Amino acid sequence: MFKHFRDIAGLIVLGCVTVVGEASAAGMAEPWQVDLQTPASPVAEQIRSFNAILFSLEALITLVVLGLMGFIIWRFNAKRNPVPNKRTHNTALEILWTVVPILILVVVAFPSLRLLFFMDRTQDAEMTIKVVGHQWYWSYEYPDHGDFTFDSIMIPDDELKPGQPRLLAVDNPVVVPVGVNVRVLLTSDDVIHSWAVPSLGLKTDTVPGRTNETWVNVNEEGTYYGMCSELCGINHGYMPVAVKAVSKAEFDAWSKNAKQEFARNDGQATHVVQAVGEVSQ
Amino acid sequence: MSQANKHPWHMVAPSPWPIVGTISAFVLAVGGVLYMHEDIPWILAAGFALLLFTFFGWWRDVVREAEHDAAHTNVVQQGLRVGVVLFIASEVMFFFAFFWAYFNASVPAISFAAQTQWPPADIVPLDTWTIPFLNTLILLTSGATVTYAHHAVREGHRDKAIVGIGLTVLLGAIFLGFQIFEYGHATFGFTDGIYASSFYMATGFHGFHVFVGVCFLSVCFFRARAGHFTPRQHVGFEASAWYWHFVDVVWLFLFCAVYWWGSFGL
Amino acid sequence: MTAEHHPTGWRRWVYSTNHKDIGTMYIVLSMIGAIIGGGMSWYIRLELAQPGIQFIEDTQLYNVLVTAHGFLMVFFVVMPAMIGGFGNWFVPLMIGAPDMSFPRMNNISFWLLVAALVLLVIAGLTGGGPGTGWTVYPPLSSATFHPGPAVDFAILSLHVAGASSILGAINLITTIINMRAPGMTMHRAPLFVWAILVTAFLLLLAIPVLAGALTMLLTDRNFGTSFFIPEGGGDPILWQHLFWFFGHPEVYIIIIPAFGIISQIIATFSKKPVFGYLGMAYAMCAIGFVGFVVWAHHMYTVGLDVNTRAYFVLATMVIAVPTGIKIFSWLATMWGGSITFKTPMLFATGFIALFVAGGVTGVVLSNAGMDVALHDTYYVVAHFHYVLSIAAVFAMYAGFYYWIGKMSGRQYSETLGKIHFWASFVGVNLLFFPQHFLGAAGMPRRIPDYPDAYAGWNMVSSIGALITAIGTVFFLYIVWHTLTRGQKAKANPWGEGATTLEWTVASPAPFHTHEELPNMEPAQAGE
Ligand code: HEA
Ligand code: HEA
Ligand code: CUA
Ligand SMILES: [Cu+2]
Repeated sequence: MFKHFRDIAGLIVLGCVTVVGEASAAGMAEPWQVDLQTPASPVAEQIRSFNAILFSLEALITLVVLGLMGFIIWRFNAKRNPVPNKRTHNTALEILWTVVPILILVVVAFPSLRLLFFMDRTQDAEMTIKVVGHQWYWSYEYPDHGDFTFDSIMIPDDELKPGQPRLLAVDNPVVVPVGVNVRVLLTSDDVIHSWAVPSLGLKTDTVPGRTNETWVNVNEEGTYYGMCSELCGINHGYMPVAVKAVSKAEFDAWSKNAKQEFARNDGQATHVVQAVGEVSQ
Repeated sequence: MSQANKHPWHMVAPSPWPIVGTISAFVLAVGGVLYMHEDIPWILAAGFALLLFTFFGWWRDVVREAEHDAAHTNVVQQGLRVGVVLFIASEVMFFFAFFWAYFNASVPAISFAAQTQWPPADIVPLDTWTIPFLNTLILLTSGATVTYAHHAVREGHRDKAIVGIGLTVLLGAIFLGFQIFEYGHATFGFTDGIYASSFYMATGFHGFHVFVGVCFLSVCFFRARAGHFTPRQHVGFEASAWYWHFVDVVWLFLFCAVYWWGSFGL
Repeated sequence: MTAEHHPTGWRRWVYSTNHKDIGTMYIVLSMIGAIIGGGMSWYIRLELAQPGIQFIEDTQLYNVLVTAHGFLMVFFVVMPAMIGGFGNWFVPLMIGAPDMSFPRMNNISFWLLVAALVLLVIAGLTGGGPGTGWTVYPPLSSATFHPGPAVDFAILSLHVAGASSILGAINLITTIINMRAPGMTMHRAPLFVWAILVTAFLLLLAIPVLAGALTMLLTDRNFGTSFFIPEGGGDPILWQHLFWFFGHPEVYIIIIPAFGIISQIIATFSKKPVFGYLGMAYAMCAIGFVGFVVWAHHMYTVGLDVNTRAYFVLATMVIAVPTGIKIFSWLATMWGGSITFKTPMLFATGFIALFVAGGVTGVVLSNAGMDVALHDTYYVVAHFHYVLSIAAVFAMYAGFYYWIGKMSGRQYSETLGKIHFWASFVGVNLLFFPQHFLGAAGMPRRIPDYPDAYAGWNMVSSIGALITAIGTVFFLYIVWHTLTRGQKAKANPWGEGATTLEWTVASPAPFHTHEELPNMEPAQAGE
């Protein structure tokens, strides 16, 4: 479905074929991309397949209406149909166009709610990370691995190394192991931010004074990018999220090292620890 | 009326009051910001004075149209009544917002941010069964007196109407006195957190509406003495009575939710 | 008629108690708003045409532009034109009333909106401006993060605009309930009248909630309350509830008058009465009603309980059903008609097609699971511009061309109108269709610069904005051309299809109309 849509949309909108990179560099958008980013987590995969249902239904509805409209324009314009009929009621028809949309919506509702409940929380998290939004960077905490914490700040344009994507690359990505259910707790230090990684199906607001919860299980090693998704002031556009997924072994090594590198020395970030209690409700 | 009477509607003459009122609103807004940010109260006060002036002039015109121009035919009165009811409906929704804020802070089923204890531990709420309860009785009585006046107006008993309205004004004023006394003796201040915020803003806006109702009824008092209200034509009074009932009902909700339930809560 | 009732010079306008003059002033205000708000949007698109910062070094300025653009377009362009402008002009005409119920209050509704616009401009120009988005979420909008007076000015601007809307709503409802001509029962009232009635009720009940929320924000900012401040036990999410409890009805406040305009035009140019009239009227009531219980679909990512979200998914999807009834009834009205595609009809047809495109993306967003991928991305921007900047604006244009003869006594040039339609049609689609792609691919909204992968479609979108801008300027030319060069309009330029009462009075409509009330009893009305 989507492969075709890509091409057709490209044709229609620009009047030229769009070039879609082969073997996509997962974890971020590609030039001229028209659909969701390549999924890299179970949630993102389910979003994608639900989107396929939604998209085809919505496209169908739009096309039916456009088709009808086209036909009416052709058939019932004043030249072809000089004498209008005056029909203003047709009960059967009216019932039909009430019931059919209801049926369509019922069909949508089931997978929609299934996805919603699936993505909400994970029962069997193997580890927890905590995300704190700040104006204008993220900080991450690893309570299960020695409770170290570090900040993750965007690399400005003039310090980018080759291969680092502009506005997305950060100094310290948050590192998670692949294939592991990670519970993510989120809060904020100042205003509301939103921690989002499209290819992992993640987007949850970080709200000061409360702790939100979500989860992720990354399928494949790689770096996955996102951006703050709630207006949070002047540098809202400059606080990207970078999630680096590594093998379990690599993760263990990294966390040992990180524990030393980011050893907490100033009692920072304790507000999340306090807030964890609230999350149980 | 200046135009031929082909229809019963009131074609209002052009009027300076809307633009004067707009200017007063604008001055109030600018003055408000200056007051809040620069501590300059004068512009705010000037805006307020201009607003009062507008009210005075505008409603003076309305009264004249009713009394001298015979502009308020039955259907026009009907329109005025509909307008008043709609205005009260919008006021109800304004209070709805403050009740929402109150329950958002106090009922965990509504919000994750609700306090775990209500009233919060550091708040000593007012005693429900003293002044608040007394005020409830006062307002309920005033609802009865205003209804009494309404009946009197409808039956053409001017004297009784004047007494009824006068008593209502009096009761309203006493209510306000108690309210101010209560604020003065509360153990928590306006800025003491979410309980205080929702308490003072909800009861404060209610108190403000009582004040407006008292002013409205006072005007009616003098109009009644001047013989403006006839059994056929007394929309102005009817509006004030409805407004008063609305204020009364809001109080009942406040009393139950904020004063009574809010004093033991969870 | 005495001079007292037909003043001249500046008094005619400033002191006006005439629904037509006030309606005209609303339309002029709307056009001024459109020039400012449209100008801002083009500046935004110019900035976004390429990755990197082109013009707007100061990102606070970018946020202020976005905020002001949203406010202006919603409160000072679409609402004044459709409710204040067309509503004022045509509700009394269509129901056979000589004026509005409260002509003097009508005037203050208008002038308050002017004051609100001035306050908004002041807000934009003081202390860095309000860079909060039109949703003004605290804590960003709180005194800590926006300490200057700008946000206070914005709040007061909305307060004043809200007062204007509430008074206008009371006026319109009372007029419609109380001032219909003899025999003009509700079930015989034109659909535009129904649309304005439903809209006015939405205004009446939604705006005060916003007023309450704004008041809380104001006291939080200046007087030490803590409604939205976590440190004092408050809750930033409360603001979102209150705002969207207003905000969602608000979007129907914008689109339902559009539905009304489109219904009139489709019937007129198909030379057929509207199909399923009662269903159309009650569908609007249903949309208005359900519109009050779906607000949290704007808050799927804030951390609401999953069952709450599930409820809002289902409630939101319900709205597609009455809206579908409207779409299909319009198509059925055209079906079997003898349709002439004059400019208003072109815009109306375009409205239906593109509103459906915008509506179905709304249904996509209503699924909380899907919304996680799309919330706060350009997909949402695409959705709401399809329903707002395309559908609602097309309805405004359609109404303008439909009624300008009646309002000004001069008819627009059909050729120019058609050119305008095609320029707009191509422009806005090129402008907003690619934004679906950007959003699906993850581009967040409210950012002045974006990762390079999004460059292509942003450029396309900006080219679309350029075409739209040219179209809009061309429209202003058409306005000028119509008023100065336009042909004299007949009382009814549209022929047999135009059956509502405004076509029974001369063009331009005289200062006072329906001084002798039309009698709409079935026998007289020829039903
Ligand atoms: C005129 C304005 C307008 C209108 C009419 C709508 C109509 C709808 N909107 Fe939209 N919306 C906005 C203006 C509008 N919206 C704005 C401004 C925002 C963003 C605010 C901000 O954040 O700044 C927004 C955001 C928004 C969101 C939040 C997105 C997010 O932030 O993540 C959602 C989610 O549910 C949504 C849903 C809907 C739905 C379901 C409809 C429905 O009413 C649409 C119904 C119509 C149809 C469905 C088409 C016709 C029907 C048929 C042909 C029948 C058959 C169809 C089916 C069976 C599906 N809208
Ligand atoms: C009715 C509402 C409306 C309208 C018409 C528009 C019109 C346009 N919008 Fe608007 N936009 C919003 C409402 C609207 N927008 C809102 C609510 C937001 C969100 C703000 C926020 O995030 O806080 C937004 C945000 C927004 C963004 C996102 C910015 C960001 O997130 O960073 C962009 C970017 O491209 C954009 C572009 C445009 C463009 C190019 C147009 C062009 O189509 C403009 C062309 C001009 C016109 C079409 C005006 C025509 C009207 C007339 C000439 C009047 C005629 C009068 C009569 C007929 C009486 N808008
Ligand atoms: Cu942080 Cu936007
Ligand atoms: Cu909505």
